[in-house]
Parts: sequence; structure tokens; C-alpha cells
Amino acid sequence: MKPAARTLGSRDAYGRLSPLWIFLLRYGPPRWSEYVVQNWTGQRLVIAVPYLWLLVFFLIPFLIVLKISFAEFSPLGRPPYEPVFQWLEEGALQVKLLIGSYVYLFNEPLYVSAWFYSLKVAFFSTLFCLALGYPMAYAIARSPPTQRNVLLLLIILPFWTSFLLRVYAWVGLLKTDGLINQVLFKWFGIVDEPLAMMNTSFAVYIGIVYSYLPFMILPLYSNLEKHDNTLLEAAQDLGAGPIKSFLRVTLPLSFPGIVAGSLLVFIPAVGEYVIPSLLGRTDQLMVAKLLSDEFFLNRDWPRASAVAIAMLLLLVVPIMIFQRFQNKELQAARK
Amino acid sequence: MKTQGLFSKSMLGVGLAFLYIPILSMVFYSFNNSRLVTVWDSVNSPTVKWYVQLFKDRQILSAAWLSIQVAATTATGAVILGTLAGLVLSRFGPFRGRAFLQGLTTAPLVMPEVITGLSMLLLFVSLEQLFTAWFGWQFDRGFATITIAHITFTMAYVTVVVQSRLAGFDDSLEEAALDLGARPAKVFFRITVPLILPAILSGWLLAFTLSWDDLVITQFVSGPGSNTLPMVIFSRVRLGVSPVVNALATIMVLVVALGVVLSAIFMRRQEQRRKREEQMAATG
Amino acid sequence: MLTAERRTEKKNKDEPWRDPHAEAYVRIENITKRFGDFVAVNNVSLKIFKGEIFCLLGGSGCGKSTLLRMLAGFESPSSGSIFLDGQDMAGVPPYERPVNMMFQSYALFPHMTVEKNIAFGLEQEKGLSRSDIATRVTDILEIVKLGPFAARRPHQLSGGQRQRVALARALVKRPKLLLLDEPLGALDKKLREATQFELINIQEQLGVTFIVVTHDQEESMTLASRIGVMNRGEIVQIGTPTEIYEFPQNKFVADFIGSVNMFEGTMIEDLPDRVRIKSDDLGGVIYVDHGISSAPGAIVYAAIRPEKISILRAPPADTTENCVKGVVKEIAYMGDVSIYLVKIDTGKMVRVTLPNIERLSDDERILWDETVWLTWHGSSPVVVTQ
Repeated sequence: MKPAARTLGSRDAYGRLSPLWIFLLRYGPPRWSEYVVQNWTGQRLVIAVPYLWLLVFFLIPFLIVLKISFAEFSPLGRPPYEPVFQWLEEGALQVKLLIGSYVYLFNEPLYVSAWFYSLKVAFFSTLFCLALGYPMAYAIARSPPTQRNVLLLLIILPFWTSFLLRVYAWVGLLKTDGLINQVLFKWFGIVDEPLAMMNTSFAVYIGIVYSYLPFMILPLYSNLEKHDNTLLEAAQDLGAGPIKSFLRVTLPLSFPGIVAGSLLVFIPAVGEYVIPSLLGRTDQLMVAKLLSDEFFLNRDWPRASAVAIAMLLLLVVPIMIFQRFQNKELQAARK
Repeated sequence: MKTQGLFSKSMLGVGLAFLYIPILSMVFYSFNNSRLVTVWDSVNSPTVKWYVQLFKDRQILSAAWLSIQVAATTATGAVILGTLAGLVLSRFGPFRGRAFLQGLTTAPLVMPEVITGLSMLLLFVSLEQLFTAWFGWQFDRGFATITIAHITFTMAYVTVVVQSRLAGFDDSLEEAALDLGARPAKVFFRITVPLILPAILSGWLLAFTLSWDDLVITQFVSGPGSNTLPMVIFSRVRLGVSPVVNALATIMVLVVALGVVLSAIFMRRQEQRRKREEQMAATG
Repeated sequence: MLTAERRTEKKNKDEPWRDPHAEAYVRIENITKRFGDFVAVNNVSLKIFKGEIFCLLGGSGCGKSTLLRMLAGFESPSSGSIFLDGQDMAGVPPYERPVNMMFQSYALFPHMTVEKNIAFGLEQEKGLSRSDIATRVTDILEIVKLGPFAARRPHQLSGGQRQRVALARALVKRPKLLLLDEPLGALDKKLREATQFELINIQEQLGVTFIVVTHDQEESMTLASRIGVMNRGEIVQIGTPTEIYEFPQNKFVADFIGSVNMFEGTMIEDLPDRVRIKSDDLGGVIYVDHGISSAPGAIVYAAIRPEKISILRAPPADTTENCVKGVVKEIAYMGDVSIYLVKIDTGKMVRVTLPNIERLSDDERILWDETVWLTWHGSSPVVVTQ
């Protein structure tokens, strides 16, 4: 029986190109490649476009950072580092890798304290964000549907206004002559002298919680909203009081939301730059500021790159956990 | 149950106040005559002089214009790439490197900006070196580099939005279109895109906002003479408060609030009309 | 008056599968589909003839939907071939096959009106002018009786109307083969019955070959010219509804279609025109008035349908075979029939269905815990060997 006209002898029964044709495609005249492009690479092309972009502009840069982190700093060079790979006249490839930058990072007290400080700040900010965000998400999830949309809108609205400006707003609030001190000190005399709130860790905590709150609330909300109310009713029917049923039913079920929200806050918070710059301490820096200073002030690109790589290694595990959770959510939504 | 509801409800109120008081205070103080911003000059306030000054401020205006251009280009590019990525990850069957692509598209969501910024700058420097060595080109960092960097990190958000929208409904509609004779490209443009249009639109807006607002990455990849609005604002406020910035902030808040409210009204109307039509169908 | 020749011709026209020379319209040859280690469809071969309504019947996971998707082109077989009207469908994508599918969820495009939904398929074809398309859309809308709803959108239609749009959309392309995936599953009972007959009418009117996938045996019995019963990726029996119901070839089919009483036993008399089975299940002898083929000494199963058993309140004259005593344990009144569960001496429950022909008074009616005798005719049992 003659098969359908589509097969030209170049394909097997299921439309796959035979190796001969693949060879001819690569080295053959354009006409053939045109045929293949028309009939076979459609899907591949679609996959390739975003893939290539991300490979070139996201992945390869990391590899470059990695390479430069091993380079030698040359203060007067343009760019300010010795080449890592160099072709010598003899035809040999010279590879010069220095781990000096990394050693410095883990020995220099400035850096060591910065690592710990950044982690500490990120960790506690996440905790505070969770403490405030969870009840908020819970309240929104339990409110009637019409109210819910309005509330969500209210939560999202600040997100759409400028991040920078919102942090700036806190400068105005926390200054010595800012609004908070005016209320506490000048107007109501609750304190004897203005509180020094600017350029403290406290200010950074507030800044981070403030800016990242929507990122904590939204995953929590989307998880809590899916909870079946009848589960709570069943628990109470079986004798558990409201607090107990929350602890034993709602809280465990909301765990994926807690993890997602916490990671969405913690990971970027470790590398946060703007908030510590505007609100943070001048005597104790976070790693992002160190990286920026090494790069822009000292022009020490190798060291800055080493900081970036170290930060990446630090965060690799949380990032992978986050991605796992993302995948699970998407899979669940598919059902 | 009651006490539990009460606690979370009051936290909600506290939280909302926490979110809005800073914004409202910024708006409030933009009308303060005093240069000190937060010390209310009751004699000469309220005034709009800072707004007037804002519109005369060349640096801010040109930076804003650059930011708009970058943001619009970024959003469009991010939507194209992000939609393709979202489509590939939710509709295409398994292919080699799929998990890797999934990782690549979601990593920018949490990556600290200093890392992304630094890495992209180093890429551009390397490319610069390459082009100069091979072609003798010299190019300066500016609009192009900023846009490319912005597209790269904002497309992650678009991908997530599109992917979750596509995951929400099965592919029987697309299969039906294939079955009826439409080729895959046609199915994409006539069936898939109209169905995920809201997701694409909100992805565009999201990418626009993120690009418009970005500071850290932009600082790394911009060149001389290409200052975006966040860069200008940042350089001004690290020296202290600036009333012109308050005026700018107020305008932005108003624009956003207006946009959000309008879209909410629009969506509500659509929902109501849809409900009415469905009821009509059930009875009629 | 039909002569013998004419009679054969007519029979062949209505039942082309009996004609050994008939050319099959759809030929499925040794199709197997594997997903990793799991075999969804296992070496299935089928011949389907033009103008048939062929039903693939089976429970979930039996492979019927996978088989349908291979016919549509959404899955490619791991091995085997599919021929449609003589053409090999290997490597042919769904948008190039002369096959159309009516999806279980209808898959109507929500952003298009009914008209545009139906026209979509025609717009993909070359050589059709706008007026041609419009005419065909109007015609098919008439056939499915949805004329006034042309400008509506799917969410403005009821479930039954949406189903008809889905049907119209597939039929308007005049496909050689129409695949229907659980077409009546989403409809309520009354609507289902009405739609079944409508489907048959439309099919006869247009002459399209249908392949229907369903798990509902009633649906398959009503719609199908032939049924293919599937279990675990294989076809277990093919036949007309009558053949499947009255002459199941194995335990699975006997049990799957309708209800059945199965008695296990061994043959004590095996003749060309009659068989006697001694059954410990029954506690007696079953007499069957036709011959069966089985290996000597093999275990056989006698399947007796509930409606073929009579209930007597007094023992019949001959209680030696095709008769058993029992106690009525359950009665379910279904309106048109009553179902009796009778416990016989061996402990087995026998299911008997009796039509409620007369309105009986309390002493005339059969009651719970009453001792009764069950009998059946020698032609009633179907003997299967597996």
C-alpha cells in the first residue's frame, strides 16, 4: 500500500529525519535546509529563541564573573584585571588563576562581619515579614469574595508604585525631624528626645519588611485561599478548639505558601542594596554595598566578582528549594 | 473562631496602615513649603511650588523620558520572549534541557540584583572587547545595554505569569484547533494568544513597572549620559530628603492609583456582564 | 418478495462486516502504544466500515481514549499502522488528516461566536470562498437545530447546545471519519436519551463514519452498529449490541455489559447440540440447548442474565436441572422492573429482574424472606470458557 505523499524517502514511518538527511542538511545546499526548516524545526525554533537569549544574557555572564573572580587585579588597566586566558607567542595558552580574592573574602574582618550581618538581617526581616504577612493573608483569604478583590488591590497597589520612592518615604518618616519623631517628641512629648532611627539596623528591618510585604502575602494568600473550609469545620466538630484547629490543620497546610513567601523575601534580601544605602548603618555594611564599593570605588573587578560568586554559592541552596516549590505549584495547577 | 478572626483582621488593618502611611506622608509633604520637607511650614504651606520646579527640572525630565523609552521597549521584548518561554514550558512535550530552561527562566525572580547587574556589565565589557578586536567597533553602554539587561530579568516574571495562566486550562482547545486543520503557528496566534491576552497584558505592565523602577542593575550597565529616573532620584536622596522628589512621588502614586482603579472597574463590569449572559443561557 | 440473493445483498449493505470481500474504511493493524513501561494499547487490530457507528467501550484506563487520540493524530503509535480509506496515516499531523474529533469537554473557542467556531475549520481549507463557508455553516446549523443561536458565544449556551455546536463544528468539514470522545457524558439522563437518537439521525443523514468512545454501556448499545469492548489495552470482543449482550465470549464482557449471574462448573455432558454442566456454585445441573466448544474437563462458566430467570412460588414439575431453590433477600422496586436478590442454598446471591406487568395485591406479590424457585429456559445460559 502506498504511504501518504508526505514521505519523500527522507523520513522513517514516524516522520523522523534519517541520519543521511541530517548530514545533508548541515552541509547541503540551502534548498534542503529550507525544507527542513519548514517542516521540522518549527518547534525547535520556538524553544531556541528564549533559550538562546537566556543562555547568552543570563548564564554566560555568570561564567564570565566566575572567570574574572580568578583574575589578578591590575589597578591601572582598562579593564582593571589581568587576562585569565592568554595566548602566548609560543602558541601555548597561559591560564592564570588566583584565589587571592576568595581568600580575602573569608579572612578580612570587614567581609566576614558583612556576610554574617547580611544573613542575620535577611533572616530576621523574613521572620518579621512572615509575622505581619501571615495574619494579613489569612484575613484576606477569609473575607467575603467581593471584599477580597478590593483588599488584594490595596495590597498590590504599593507594589506598582516605585520601590525606590517608597524606601525614600521611610527616610522622611524616620529622620530626626521626621514625622514619627514629630509625633512622638514634638507633639505628644511621649519621648524626651528624638529617637535616632535612621541609619540603624532597625530602619533596615522596617525597610525590607515594608518593601517585600506583598511578596510574602501573595503566595501565602494563594495557598490559604485554596484551603477547604470544611476541613476546619470537621476538626472543630471532632472537638478541637479554634487555636488548636488552626495549629493542626491550617498551619501545616499553608506550609508551601510559607516556604515560597519566605524564600521570595529572604533570597533577595541577602543581596539588597538600596535599602541599606538609604536607611542602613554606615559602620556595618551588607554584602551588596561591599560589592558595589569594590567595583565602583576600588575598581577591583576580580574582588567584586568573587563577592558575587560567593553570594551565589551562599544562595544556591535556597534558590533551588524555591525552584522546586515553583515547579510543584505549577504541576498542581495543571491538574 | 471569633477571636481568631479578630486578631487577623486587626493585623490586616495594622498592615494596611503600615503600607499606606509612608506613601500618604510623602504626598502630604509634597505640599510643604519648607525645604526640610518634614518640618511643616505652616505659614507658607500648602504650596505647589515644588511641582512647578519639578516640571522645570531638565535632569529629571530627560531621565524620565529615557526611563519611559527603556521601560516600553523592555516590556515589549520581555512579553515576546516570556510568552514564548511560558508556552514552551507548559505546552511543549519533554525535550532535552527542559528542566534547565525552567531553572533559567525562574532564577532571575530571586537573584539579588547586584549579582545580575555585575554579571551583565562584565558580559557587555567582554563583548565590547570582542567587537573592538574583531570588527574595530566601539560601542558605549547606554540605551541598548540597559534595555537588554532589563529584558533579561523581567522576562522571568512574564514567563511565570503566562505559564500559570496556561497551566490553568488544558490544551483541548488547541488540540481542537489542530484537529480542525489549523497549523501550529496559526493555533498559537488565533487561539492561544487571545485566550491568554489578560496574562500577556499584565505581564507587559509588570515588566514595564519593574524596568521603570530598576536601580541597581541599571547602575551597572548604563553608560555616561544615560541616566534613568531611578538613578537621578537615588543620587538626590542619598544626600537627604528632597521636596521635588516628593512631588514626583505624588504624581506617580496618583497615576498608578488611577490606573489600578480604572482597571478594577473595567474588570468588574466585564465580570458582571459575563454573569448576566451565563444566567441568560441557563434559562433561555 | 426478497429472494435469497437479494436478502444477502441487503444484509451486506446493513452489515458490511459480514461480507468477507468488503473493503474496510478504517484499518487499524497491530497498533501498540507504550508510555515508558506502561502499555496503554496492546496489539489492537480493527476493521471499521464506511457508514458505521463503531463504539469503543470500556472502563477507565482500558486504552480506548489513547486509541482514539492515535486515530486523530495526537499520539503516534509505538508500532503498527493506521489506514484511512487506503491511506497510511503514519506521520500525518492532526491538521492534515481527514478526521475530525468531538472533544469530551467540547473545546469550544470561548472568544468566538458559534458561527465563527464552526467556520474556523472551513477557514483552514483552501479553495473555499466566504459565501461557500457561510452557506455550509448555515446548513449545518439547521441540521443540529441551532439556527437562532449563531451569534451567541459559548458561555451563553446551555450544555446541550454547546454539545451540538461541537458536533456541528466537526461535521461541517465533511470528514471521512468523526471521532466522538464520551459525547453524552456531560448531559443529564433525559437529554442524553434524546440526543442519542438525534446523533443516529444525523449520522444516517450525512453518512459519516463515527467512532465513539464511551464507558457507558447503555449509550453504546443505543448508538452503535458494532461495539468493540476493550479491557487493559486489548479488544476483548467485537460485535453488534445484540451479539455482545446475548453472546458474550468471555467472563469480562458478560460481566461488563448489563448484569449477569455467573455459575462456575464442569461439563458432565458434551454433545454437539446440547451440554450439561454440573455447578457447585448453583448446587445443581445446568442444561444448555446448544453445543459449545471447550477442552474436555475444562472449567466453564454459565452466564445467565437476570431478566431470563423466572421466579416461581411453588416448585416446578421438573427440578432436576435449570432450577434452584432460594430465599428472597432483597427487592428493589425500580418502577418499570423489580430487581430481586435471591439467596440460594450454596450461599450465592442470584439476581433476577421481573417486569412489573400487573399491579398485584400483597398476598399475590413476592415478599422478603419468601422461599421461591428460580427457573430458566435451556437457551438462556451463555457458556464462556474464560
